[in-house]
Amino acid sequence: MTSTLIPPPVERTPRRVVKEPLTRRQRLSRFDLRASPYLYIAPFFVLFALTGLFPLVYTLVVSLHDWQLLQGQGDFVGLANFTEVLQDRFFWNSIGNTLSIFVLSSVPQLVVALVLAAVLDQNLRAKSFWRMSVLLPYVVSPVAVALIFSSVFGEQSGLVNNLLGVVGVEPIEWKNDTLASHVAIATMVNWRWTGYNALILLAAMQAVPRDLHEAAAIDGAGAVRRFFSVTLPGIRPTFVFVMITATIGGLQIFAEPRLFDVSTAGGVGGSERQFQTSVLYLWEMAFFRQDFGKAAAIAWLLFLLIVGIGLINFLLSQRIASAEKAVGSRRERRRSKGARR
Amino acid sequence: MSLHRAIRGGVAAGAAGLALTLVATGCSSGGTAQDGDELTLSVTTFGTFGYEELYEEYEAANPGITISATNIDTGGNARTDTFTKLAAGGGLADVVAIEEGWLGSIMEVSDQFVDLRDHGIEDRSGDWVDWKYAQATDPDGRVIGYGTDIGPEGLCYNGPLFEAAGLPSDRESVAELFGGDDASWDRYFELGRQYQEATGKAWYDHSGFVWNAMVNQLPEGYYSADGDVIVEDNAELRERFDQLAAGTLDGLSAAEAAWDWNGGESFVDGSFATFVCPGWMLGNITGKLESGGGGAETGWDFANVFPGGPANWGGAFLSVPASSEHQEEAAKLASWLTEPEQQVKQSAAAGNFPSTLEAQAELAENPTPNAVFNDAPTGAILAERAEGVQAQFKGPDDSLIQENVFGPPFKALDRGETDADGAWSQAVQLLGELVD
Repeated sequence: MTSTLIPPPVERTPRRVVKEPLTRRQRLSRFDLRASPYLYIAPFFVLFALTGLFPLVYTLVVSLHDWQLLQGQGDFVGLANFTEVLQDRFFWNSIGNTLSIFVLSSVPQLVVALVLAAVLDQNLRAKSFWRMSVLLPYVVSPVAVALIFSSVFGEQSGLVNNLLGVVGVEPIEWKNDTLASHVAIATMVNWRWTGYNALILLAAMQAVPRDLHEAAAIDGAGAVRRFFSVTLPGIRPTFVFVMITATIGGLQIFAEPRLFDVSTAGGVGGSERQFQTSVLYLWEMAFFRQDFGKAAAIAWLLFLLIVGIGLINFLLSQRIASAEKAVGSRRERRRSKGARR
Repeated sequence: MSLHRAIRGGVAAGAAGLALTLVATGCSSGGTAQDGDELTLSVTTFGTFGYEELYEEYEAANPGITISATNIDTGGNARTDTFTKLAAGGGLADVVAIEEGWLGSIMEVSDQFVDLRDHGIEDRSGDWVDWKYAQATDPDGRVIGYGTDIGPEGLCYNGPLFEAAGLPSDRESVAELFGGDDASWDRYFELGRQYQEATGKAWYDHSGFVWNAMVNQLPEGYYSADGDVIVEDNAELRERFDQLAAGTLDGLSAAEAAWDWNGGESFVDGSFATFVCPGWMLGNITGKLESGGGGAETGWDFANVFPGGPANWGGAFLSVPASSEHQEEAAKLASWLTEPEQQVKQSAAAGNFPSTLEAQAELAENPTPNAVFNDAPTGAILAERAEGVQAQFKGPDDSLIQENVFGPPFKALDRGETDADGAWSQAVQLLGELVD
């Protein structure tokens, strides 16, 4: 790696002493050199401005107004929508539910994905088959997943309660008990995303140099020791990436709770809002209660929450990266010491 | 070398330009020019509307017109769909079905719909029962909807379950049992307690639907006729609330999840013996019986009686949004679909009940047996149930109060988690929080 850092020898042409004015072609060429890169990346930024930035700013404008879904813009009310939402018990209930479902889904999801990736990283027969299989749930649309699972978790004759009945466990109130409903929704999320994350981690694992594994094996490290001491440190940056995407996704759960129980007001997350997530509350505010201003305020508060958690993630990954740098330079020193010996 | 660079530069600029062009034109494609003769009318309905054959008939009679139909599964989802598109300022079909429950919200923006007086609805105003036509008229006198069906309510009951409890099971005796023309909620709950004592089973599926019927029947429900929310001051409302709460706490409610009913199985396995049935509900029950593995043999029947007198729940209108590009043709189609002759066909296909007098008379004179409901002449029965129905004023937040304010307390009552006073105060609290 270090060898590539030495710049290749460059033939230096003697500098022209007399400065002639540039020809048109030359000027064009210089312009091309400077401007083209920006043109290349422009489509992304144009699209982002249209589909990302504009809605973001517009939502802020809406949130500062009294704004009804059907009647449209009303009076400017400043931060009134924000203060009202912050005093709304249903808002805090939805934040609590979101965080609870997020923890119940992300933690087991990442652990299982890690183990799954480690297993797939072994020398298996029909490798591609197994790797494609774990991605299969990801292909199914979340709406279909929600419909299937809301039937599986049916309280009266759902599959899960029937199976529990076989081993003599009382039926669980999946749609009325708060924690049980969170577990059920987390299960849907996990079912869909675990395989996807496993594949990303698997790709990272395959980039860990095999000779490190061999060296560790020769030194007598068992499979578990090698996993924790070689594989895990090797995939740390990817693991952080997976964590961040899981966080963003986990805080935006909507389809699953929306469709889990549609008997109450067309699906606002349980009769007592046992599993109403923040995005679902936003939906209820905008399209059921028709208060667009407050819904926009919820959207912005949710945005700030995600940015906040994203920052925590960022700091975490910075620390991991610097830890790696430290490890790297230690190795460097050790190597140079060895060379001197 | 310089040639090479120039080519690369050109390609680069070209590629970037192409990308920008794609972005710029991305939105504008898709608009195709319409010929004068050939045009497509889009229609959005919901639930069980029974229009499929009528569309074909209209297309055959009007060459050059193609109908592109969308049916949304439930009225609630149709509400979201319509509201979202109204708010977005586009995307609505040329003809949109609107449900009575959320007509109050639509009325607040009635100028976004075509005034059908411009398309001759006044000539037909005598077709409908007068309150249906009045419901579609906004305060300025603009008429924005052709009435399709109305929802007069009768009583669905399960014959074999009644027999098992020692109650009569044929339609006429059941109607008499409940009190005939003097049927009251007191009698309904009294019979429920008898049934529950004899069998140990529930009388109705869940409290919410019974509550809906009890409220819809009052001269004033959640709103006064002047449009004020009067939930807390409406003594009749509170009285009925307590009556229903007492029945539910005595175990008369099966605490079912509405619109699911355990995948329809609860209609088959005898979980409950009675069900409040507006005309359009008959089609829903037929569907649920099928998915629950039952059918005609399950023994559901339809009696010409309703506790507390005549009641109406729901019914729909066909409206033409102002955003439609073919208002004239759309209004023509909507008008045709709601003519008495077509309403009779719709009723035969969907089991709902027409809103025009002529169609109602037709159903009353030529009763057709409904095979799923023990061959009950449902149309003829509904025609009698429709007599004396009075329209109640529905405010803009009517469906919100029904679902989000009274839904949770009745769910809690169904589950035996609270008492009547606790449930009422929960409702009042929710009302304060959700409706301003």
